[in-house]
Amino acid sequence: MKLLEIKNIYKNFSNKKVLHGINLDIENGEISSIFGYSGEGKSTLLKIICGIIKQDSGDIVLNEKNINNLEPYERSTTLVMDEPLLFPHMNVLENIAFGSKLRANKKRHTTSNKKALESPKEIMGLLGITGLEKRYPSEISMGQAQRVSLARALIVNPEIILMDEPFSNLDIISKTKVRKLIKEINCELKISILLVTHDIEDVINLSNKMFILNKGEIKDSGRPKDVLKKPSSIETAFLIGTENIFDGIISEIDKKNNIVKIRLKNEKPENIYIEADYYGTFKVNERIVFAIRPEEVMILREDRGASRSVRENHFTGKIISSVFTLRMMEILIKSESGLEFKALIPFHAYEVMHLFEGKTINISLKKSAIHIIEKKKR
Amino acid sequence: MRFNKNKIFNIIVYIISFLFFIALILLLSGIFFQTSPGLFIKELENVNLWNSIFLSFKISFIVILINLIIGIPIAYILSFHNSKISFILDSVSNLPLTTSPLVIGFAVLITMGPLNPVGKLFIDNGIKFVFTPQGIVLVQLIISFPFFVNIVKTSFDSINRNIIDLSKTLGADSFDILSKIILPLSYNGIMAGLAISWSRSMGEYAATQMISGVIPNVTETAPIEVFVKTSYGNYPAAIAIAGILMLVSMFSLGVFKYFSYKMKPK
Repeated sequence: MKLLEIKNIYKNFSNKKVLHGINLDIENGEISSIFGYSGEGKSTLLKIICGIIKQDSGDIVLNEKNINNLEPYERSTTLVMDEPLLFPHMNVLENIAFGSKLRANKKRHTTSNKKALESPKEIMGLLGITGLEKRYPSEISMGQAQRVSLARALIVNPEIILMDEPFSNLDIISKTKVRKLIKEINCELKISILLVTHDIEDVINLSNKMFILNKGEIKDSGRPKDVLKKPSSIETAFLIGTENIFDGIISEIDKKNNIVKIRLKNEKPENIYIEADYYGTFKVNERIVFAIRPEEVMILREDRGASRSVRENHFTGKIISSVFTLRMMEILIKSESGLEFKALIPFHAYEVMHLFEGKTINISLKKSAIHIIEKKKR
Repeated sequence: MRFNKNKIFNIIVYIISFLFFIALILLLSGIFFQTSPGLFIKELENVNLWNSIFLSFKISFIVILINLIIGIPIAYILSFHNSKISFILDSVSNLPLTTSPLVIGFAVLITMGPLNPVGKLFIDNGIKFVFTPQGIVLVQLIISFPFFVNIVKTSFDSINRNIIDLSKTLGADSFDILSKIILPLSYNGIMAGLAISWSRSMGEYAATQMISGVIPNVTETAPIEVFVKTSYGNYPAAIAIAGILMLVSMFSLGVFKYFSYKMKPK
């Protein structure tokens, strides 16, 4: 069931185009996220949804009711921002109870499938902030404050909670905790959440559906896994930080075996081919780009013969750099033909395989891991 | 000790400030040295003197009450609404700060006089502003409200706009936002504004004198009484009232400083 429909929203700020025909649907009970860089109008869109800013044109429909002309306090959408923004003159309990004491909320009714939380005590228990009732906002930590802010938004039983970069000011431990909490709240209370973020990890971790907002338009949408693995355009691929993008031309299509052969563009005179699973509507001699995710670049072990599945698309190359990142080793491999591949492997694998900078290794690109993207004609 | 340029700079700045500070103290405290305690106490028994002081208290109390009622809406518009109206309102409300108080008093005297249609309308309805206490309230209001409005506006300006936006989505309408968020958060600013506008009203002389008509025990406020007593040559009485006025302004300055320090974010 559609909960929130955003139809053709336009917004300019003194000649600067911010939102340019935004259309999106949010399903009931899901966590949806809008991913985009800073300054792309994500926050503006949220503020339009909850009524703080008025759009130039377009409609916002909540529960099949057009809410364009409703004031923010009549809308049943609550906002959680990047700062907790607690009322400094009220203690935690008063902060949380703020919304429940207001006239506007007493008239609100909620849709049936949602479990309503009535008392601040109950919410505080759910969010793990019991015991802070009498403290003032200046006396609690950032992570606790953000949870209080979440509790304050929950108590008014909104149809949807809009979250504007709720994790950006949290340290990595609180971030993980609050993320988990949001997921739990969503499961338990069946409350719909629209999250806006510039952190792709938030999107993958939390959302059922993602939208990519860039230059005031929705560029791509779908399940985060799908969008991430198979971006629909080069633009989206760049936006979500897809690495290992190569130019090529379709040279052969074998529909019987479902294989497509791609000629790689490179500096060397000899042709290099790569095979991939065939899907879509590509034609021979069409210019395309293809991408392979760094974690799908397989480094072959010297001591073992290649198994069948890894006998595809072999390259020999040298490790030109290896960097230890947060969880993985990031390795850059330059093949003999001059192509550069980035690979991500677990640290222990890096050690077991005795890899080091300058070592010559063999890699394999699985056919199924290669994602072909249509090149738009200009 | 080596004198570098920064030290010399500090020395110059402090010397100038302290010299002026000492001069100011000597000038203002002079009135306390001019009289003997006996004369001072004798003058304090004068009913006329207390009448003028009570009148000043009464009028300034009414003035700050009205300030509170009209000043908060004006400061609200100036701080929260960014439009042409707020720009015009800002300029108009600050006009009394740059206009001579004498001119303001004179303007009210002319406008509220019987020859002016506005004044005539009020007089016909039995409301007199010329040579009456309510006339004094009017001019003192005009003179003191910019002080109140400016401080309250500064206080409103310091409230995080995101907190206000967020509370709207929690179900708060404009009345809720004013009463539950804006006013509690600007309590210190409002108190500081009241202290300064009260002090301004207590000490106002020029405009008050224009509209009051200097009627003893009716429109003679304390500052006017000081002038009247001086012109009669009754210096002990003038000194007694001036001394009390000075204590009052010290007190209100203290109140103002207390709240304006609390107003500043730590």
